[in-house]
Amino acid sequence: MKNMKPRDIALIALLSASITAGKFVLSFVPNVEIVTLLFIVYTVSFGLKRSLLVSVVFATTEILIYGFSTWLIGYYIVWPVLIIVTWLMRNRFKSEFGYAAIAGIHGFAFGAFFAVFESFFYGWAYGFAYWLRGILFDVVHGVSNYIIVLLLFKPLARIVKMQAERFFAAVN
Amino acid sequence: MNKKIIAIVSVLLLAVLVYWGYSAFIAPKGEEGKKQVTIHVVISKENIDQKFEYTTDHEFLYDLLKEKEGELGASFQTYDFGTMVTGMMNYVADESQQEFFHIAVNGEDATTGPQEIPLKDGDVYKFELKNW
Repeated sequence: MKNMKPRDIALIALLSASITAGKFVLSFVPNVEIVTLLFIVYTVSFGLKRSLLVSVVFATTEILIYGFSTWLIGYYIVWPVLIIVTWLMRNRFKSEFGYAAIAGIHGFAFGAFFAVFESFFYGWAYGFAYWLRGILFDVVHGVSNYIIVLLLFKPLARIVKMQAERFFAAVN
Repeated sequence: MNKKIIAIVSVLLLAVLVYWGYSAFIAPKGEEGKKQVTIHVVISKENIDQKFEYTTDHEFLYDLLKEKEGELGASFQTYDFGTMVTGMMNYVADESQQEFFHIAVNGEDATTGPQEIPLKDGDVYKFELKNW
């Protein structure tokens, strides 16, 4: 990361903290979260590299909070995949509907991804059962992601982009 | 805004459809009527190896465990994804020692929690303290 500047390090720390805090805020509602929304908005506003680093810091923070477990390793894959897909699709989307679709699919596929991941450790039968018993949670996750991003992406992205411009203007 | 409302309503309808499909075709179903089952508890470090025979009308293992909670010394913890057995015979698995109660049904590893394990006549449900 030889091109990293102090302002980027500070920014990544702030964005990671906001995602961890965002996760805590809604942790009492099973599978309803704003982490997906924040990663999508940050990717569009701050770019691929910074967002990927934010996801690494976020996943590491999760391990520090909850302790090490196999599903937390999956965080190092599942969030970067969301960021990369968002980054690749950003120029094709003319409205928030595209981002909402990505968020919905990401939420719905969340359980399937972890089922495959857990299968490497505990076998395919376990993975399949894990996925089946979590389907309803995945549905809640996918639907809530879709609605949250559809309603909040535009206003949040506008505010974050405005603040990003102010931040970079102030530190340059 | 109308477009968004239509999209949200469509997604919610889709979710209801999936929920119905899950309940009708995938969710585990219990058996009605009387069943004779065995609960087998093994906690080697406490020299506990005990079997309990029950006749029950309950359809799922969790309901039986709740009814016999006192006799079995059972304790539970509820998570987002369901309720797990954390203690048997008044021994609570110590997470800091990587302990948990492994459940086997007729010798086969259970792949779901007690709320999704249907009770069947003649089945043996073994709870063994293990380390992950």
